[in-house]
Amino acid sequence: MTDLYSAVIEFVNFLIPVSIFAILALGLNLQWGHTGLFNGGVAAFFGVGAYTAAILMTTKVYPSSFDPGHWGFSLPFGVAALGAVFMAAFLGLLIAIPILRLRADYFAIATLALAETVRLVITNAEGVTGGRIGIREIPRPFDAFAAGRPALSDGYMALLAVGLLMISLLLIEFLTRAPWGRVLRGIREDEEATLALGKNVYKFRLQAFVLGCAFMGLAGAVYASYNTTLSPDGFDALVTFTIYVMVILGGSGNNAGVILGALLFYSFDWVSIRLDDYLPDWLALRFPNIRVMIIGAILVAFVIYRPEGILKERKRTYPPVRTR
Amino acid sequence: MNQTPEPILLVRDVVKKFGGLRALDGCSLDVRPHTITGLIGPNGAGKSTLFNTIMGLFTPDSGTITFNGGQIEGKPAYRLVPLGLVKTFQIPRELRNLTVLENLLIAAKDVPGERLSRLLLEFATGRRREREIQARAEELLAFVGLAGLRDEYAKNLSGGQKKLLELTRALMSDPLLILLDEPVAGVNPTLAVKILGLLQELRDQGKTIFLIEHDMDVVMNRCDWIVVLHQGRRLAEGAPSEVKRDAQVVDAYLGG
Repeated sequence: MTDLYSAVIEFVNFLIPVSIFAILALGLNLQWGHTGLFNGGVAAFFGVGAYTAAILMTTKVYPSSFDPGHWGFSLPFGVAALGAVFMAAFLGLLIAIPILRLRADYFAIATLALAETVRLVITNAEGVTGGRIGIREIPRPFDAFAAGRPALSDGYMALLAVGLLMISLLLIEFLTRAPWGRVLRGIREDEEATLALGKNVYKFRLQAFVLGCAFMGLAGAVYASYNTTLSPDGFDALVTFTIYVMVILGGSGNNAGVILGALLFYSFDWVSIRLDDYLPDWLALRFPNIRVMIIGAILVAFVIYRPEGILKERKRTYPPVRTR
Repeated sequence: MNQTPEPILLVRDVVKKFGGLRALDGCSLDVRPHTITGLIGPNGAGKSTLFNTIMGLFTPDSGTITFNGGQIEGKPAYRLVPLGLVKTFQIPRELRNLTVLENLLIAAKDVPGERLSRLLLEFATGRRREREIQARAEELLAFVGLAGLRDEYAKNLSGGQKKLLELTRALMSDPLLILLDEPVAGVNPTLAVKILGLLQELRDQGKTIFLIEHDMDVVMNRCDWIVVLHQGRRLAEGAPSEVKRDAQVVDAYLGG
């Protein structure tokens, strides 16, 4: 009984991070997989979403000798999540307007720089974000019903995370199947040719970028609530790299594929961390580094032998129309 | 050729500089409607630059361009396609990982499903328009003989088929004036004849074709009017038989 109970908790705590990563991967897939925009600042939009949601949900903490304090508005999760989506999208819009005309490589550098800037701002805006100490006691939306039972709290959280993932998938799938998505893929293949065919390339790229950022903000809101604490360390370039690995392994341009990528990547993480206990000491000691090497090797193998990823982009065929 | 109708395209004193190079140096020319007008000239004369400038891919440094009565110089391409102007590229720019059919669908204009604001609100209208443009695309594919490759990735087409796709795609927006950058270069003779026949058919349907071409057989036998460009300016123009005899043109381009 207790075995089953702890297995359920374990499973639920596996599902939530997978869902968060999957929402991030979906957002990046819209930008990179469909439109060909290299966003090097996934961490920034994720972080802004997480901090916005956390600040909107928690109660204000006043500065003291050991805590720089942070803002807090005690709002419900729904409002906080909307705020997170809005703020991430707004940041995306602000950065995209000046740099979207840049060539692809400069765009990547500019977004990468943005991520570092955002991380430094979060670290140093002490009275707002809690600085290095960060934010604690971020509430979970259904905790009133969980009545202090952690397992139930985790369960509700998992339902929320998986539900939001499903909504995100449906929405993005709808948009990318529509003629709108077709133009994005045209831009990915050849920007100038798509422009010459009469499409306002800048507008489409802006829309895809901002929407992608909005989903990253949503993932941030779920993360803040799930984790219940935030600190700036969680939002470095490694996050961005991780999401790229998920998208590339799963299959750029395939929405189901990138979710599979998130699932497989996190599974690898999950297994490899638990493997530690079964390894001889000399290996266990080095295993954290070996793990990263394995991920790197898998990534290289994929890029060489299966660049389209596990689930390659679906060929879009159209049933014949009856003419006249 | 006596009663000349109002030109559909007027280029006046257009200058386009790249650094110190004046690729177009006060270029002026007209294209009359319902003609196949050829643009010839030596390499570096500014032919492709002129096409890119007309299509809004380059912004001219000075001069005016009038299309169908409206001034268009400096306007971006996505504002020109709705007016009835379209251009193909010299080297086909097929959208590689889209199918042949999708390459055509993306070239249609007035597609509500491409606008986020209308995607949900006008879902039914969007679906109807989508069926319309698909029917049009299938018709064009049958017309040029690419129907069998409808669901093939564009990257898998042969060079000649890509050239044909490039031309067919340009027709999707139902243009008045089509700028063709070497439509038959590198195409086998049979396909070239087919493409040229197609162009004449389009002209007879009322479209105007302005093309760059180096093959003198094509230019002399298929064009109604020829403009010769040299060092970024118009050197001469006239009916094929006149241009052929023009001493300046022979000097600069055709050779003795």
